[in-house]
Amino acid sequence: MHNPPKLFLKFFRWYCHPRLAKPIEGDLMELYDERVKELGKKKADWKFIKDTLLLFRRDIIKPAGGGQRLNNYGMFKSMIKMAWRNAIRQKQFTVLNLLGLTIGISTCFMIGLYIHDEMTFDAFHEKGDRIYRVNQPFIWGDWDRMMASTGPNLATALREDAPAFEEVTRILSLGSLTATAANNGNRSNAFKEDRIYAAEENFFDVFSFKLKAGDTKSAFDDPQNIMITEKTMRRYFGEDARPEETIGKNIEIKQYDNSWKAFSINGILENVPTRSHIQYDMLVSLKSESEMMQAHGWKWIWTAFSTYGLVKEGTNVAALERDIQAIPPKWAPPTTERIFNQTFEEFTDGNPWKLDLQPLSEVYIAGSPRGHSFGPTGNPLFIKIFGAIGLLVLVLSAINFMNLSTARATNRSKEVGVRKVLGSERSTIVKQFILESVLFVLTSTALALMVVQLTLGTFNHLAEKQIEILPFFQNPTFYLIVFAFILTLGFIAGSYPALYLSSFKPIESLKGKIKTGFKGRSIRNGLVVFQFTISIALIITTFFVQKQLTYASNVDIGFAKENILQLHNVEELGFETEALKNRLAANPKFTVVGKSFGVPPFVYSSDRYKAAGPETPVVQLNNLRIDEDYLEVLGLEFLSGRNFDSNRENDKYRVILNREAVKNLGWNVENAVGKSVALASGGEEEHEVIGVAEDFNFNSVKQEIAPLILIHHYNDIVWDYGAGLSFYSMRLNQEAITSTDDLNQLLISLEEEMKQIDPTVPFEYSFMDQEFEATFRSERKMATILNVFTIMAMIIACLGLFGLAAFSAEQRTKELGIRKVLGASVSELAVTFSKEFTRLVLIAILLACPIAWYFVSQWLQDFAYSTPMEVWVFIAATIAAMLIAIVTISFQSLRSANRNPVETLKDE
Amino acid sequence: MKKFQLGEFEEIVMLTVAILYDDAYGVSIKKEIENRLNRSVSVGALQSALKRLEDKDYLESLDKDATQERAGRPKRYYKITALGKEAMQYTKETRNSLWEAIPSVSLDVKFATL
Repeated sequence: MHNPPKLFLKFFRWYCHPRLAKPIEGDLMELYDERVKELGKKKADWKFIKDTLLLFRRDIIKPAGGGQRLNNYGMFKSMIKMAWRNAIRQKQFTVLNLLGLTIGISTCFMIGLYIHDEMTFDAFHEKGDRIYRVNQPFIWGDWDRMMASTGPNLATALREDAPAFEEVTRILSLGSLTATAANNGNRSNAFKEDRIYAAEENFFDVFSFKLKAGDTKSAFDDPQNIMITEKTMRRYFGEDARPEETIGKNIEIKQYDNSWKAFSINGILENVPTRSHIQYDMLVSLKSESEMMQAHGWKWIWTAFSTYGLVKEGTNVAALERDIQAIPPKWAPPTTERIFNQTFEEFTDGNPWKLDLQPLSEVYIAGSPRGHSFGPTGNPLFIKIFGAIGLLVLVLSAINFMNLSTARATNRSKEVGVRKVLGSERSTIVKQFILESVLFVLTSTALALMVVQLTLGTFNHLAEKQIEILPFFQNPTFYLIVFAFILTLGFIAGSYPALYLSSFKPIESLKGKIKTGFKGRSIRNGLVVFQFTISIALIITTFFVQKQLTYASNVDIGFAKENILQLHNVEELGFETEALKNRLAANPKFTVVGKSFGVPPFVYSSDRYKAAGPETPVVQLNNLRIDEDYLEVLGLEFLSGRNFDSNRENDKYRVILNREAVKNLGWNVENAVGKSVALASGGEEEHEVIGVAEDFNFNSVKQEIAPLILIHHYNDIVWDYGAGLSFYSMRLNQEAITSTDDLNQLLISLEEEMKQIDPTVPFEYSFMDQEFEATFRSERKMATILNVFTIMAMIIACLGLFGLAAFSAEQRTKELGIRKVLGASVSELAVTFSKEFTRLVLIAILLACPIAWYFVSQWLQDFAYSTPMEVWVFIAATIAAMLIAIVTISFQSLRSANRNPVETLKDE
Repeated sequence: MKKFQLGEFEEIVMLTVAILYDDAYGVSIKKEIENRLNRSVSVGALQSALKRLEDKDYLESLDKDATQERAGRPKRYYKITALGKEAMQYTKETRNSLWEAIPSVSLDVKFATL
């Protein structure tokens, strides 16, 4: 048989109206065939070409576009109809699929929201993309570590030497101050303000904090200017205070010498957005510190400032950062020479005094430098961990979907066979399955959004966040992302089932040859193993996280931290507080009372010391001022020597070291007593060591015990004499306090006592064990969230296993029936049935253990005191996972085993 | 008043379909017209006429007989509908009435050649 010119035939097929194409083509072929016989191929070809060209006329050509679209629409309609019918027919699978996907997507969305929330901190500043914080090395010791605070002189230097900065502004952290809205000398309305800072005139030129009343131009013109937030205003002036009327009123702030200094309110600020790394209640003009600034303004070591720069538009920040490295060597030498009597090189000891420009968007989340004094900092590790878990849970649920879909292969194989026989191409079948999966994902996403909205409150409570999802619905980008998410996930989850199911050969599938899904089986098993590996690894990890947290809060910190009550703000009562101490000591509810100028776990003050004598190395020691009773409150052991003695006048210039400090100074416990230490910064005075105390944790248990020097509270030759916060710590007499009522009563009486001495001093107290506990807050938070997500992952894995078990039960109905007829007992059948899955879970356990071991050991490295990696945890987690898996399949296995063989075997 | 519209070629096609009765499909119609009227008919002209007639509901069609020489494509057989029959009748009657209205002299050839 001859063929007409292909090109023209194709042309004809292309333009011809589909309704006419086939019969006309038939006519053309018939004529062609005839003509070839009569006239020969050549003439027939020419006539064919003429015919096709003459057929190209209005009535024959298909309408432009219309026909095509109509066709596809019909196909999609049919596909959607098929998807719906299949979903309805197999309700169990549909529910399992939707449940798995919904859990996975909700978890993923929730984590996505959390990460988005963390990543968009400080995003509200209008010039935010041009704001940089200047960080410098920790010049007090570890030069490799960076810190977020600098001396005041850095800003001066930057203004002079770096013209690329449009503005440079400093913020001074003022620590903790007592303030009152003075009312005719009545200062009883006093509050402790921790979030009070001094800011410069150009503060609002850099940052976009908004005002309720007043204006930003003249904000800090006058040294007496103060701005307070709306919330603070209500605190001092009552709930119905009006911003406009509050301007001009006075706030008095207690100074370090306990005098009161008046500030005039110059503006009311809007409450600070929660997602700002600078959190304040009050801002005073930096000019109020002019005396201090004049005395120390040239200094590079008064590291209480944070320096922020606003670069000009189009600045090459990398080049700028390179240029400003020249500033410290140029400007800092006068400071080092005058304060430490050291040249710049001697002071830095060869370490570069580098200046880092950190973009504002990274200040919160970068995790380095650790901490700053203005507000919260994020933890990039948590972001990584949560991000990984969110992705894993999503992958788990996608795998679930693939697994269940391919498990249904037998049910769908006939459908695929019939479709193929009717002329469906493989690509069409692939499209159909992918469409089905996209529809599943679409439904689950809609459900997940609802779940997220419903559970967001609980999540916010756990994570201590204020995330809302509703505002996202007004954001077109959000829709785009969700849309892209649905398509991507639908495509990924649907791809394997689609390729697998569409590969069936119609003859085999219609004959029913595809039984247990031949090759698909090993892949499915692999997927189940993968799911369980991840779930079990997560279980083991959470186990260890819990164990570590328990361990760390129970670790022996060197003294009994329980039952120690700490009274704050003692420094405001003046330096001489013996009267109060005597009254506290007389209270039978306390056994010992001691004073200190810092309380564990917050002893951060440190200085540079050296052993007395020439050419001794400088060592960094933490220091703490205490009275002679404080160590007794802690119940600390002495390794050698003795405690301070109130009867020996000269003890006030003597010091006590801890074991670590003795080691750092190059001595040992036996020979240290009697030797002397001196401050490394110039002073000639030497302090004799009278005792060595056992190491104890004066900081969070996350850190190793640092060297510590204990200084007598009356020691007036050390420079910080008379400054800083002081506390009274009381060990509770447990026999006198038997109930919480007793404790409350005690606190009330304590408050009265304080108020009698000075009513303007805020009454604040804490319990030391709770403070230690609180240093693990963020870890606890993480542990809780981790628990929730682990449960999610486990549920998804179980859903998958359940689905597979149900499928397998259906497949093996006859086998189990025959076994039963031949005499197998119900329990034997259940075991036979479970064996297959138990094996998979066992493999998963073998894989999960080393993975979990690796990650846990990595995490534990962050802790100075870590719980040992005991084997029983692995065994316990293994058994738990095994039990969960067995319970999951037992429903199916028992049902299959209990079925009456007559029913299962009667057909066929 | 155009109650039934039927062009010259269309009318020929209708008549041929009627003649062929059971065997009226593309090629057979084409050949029948070519044989009887001794004029050549292109596939395009014929098919477009057939489509127009079908759109006007004068013809109806049925696909069958996919044979080897037609490369598995069906033949589309046409049949005249009741409406189609009416249309043919109408055309024929209009012609007849016109013929009858012609005075006999007007067709006198001698007169005409004058």
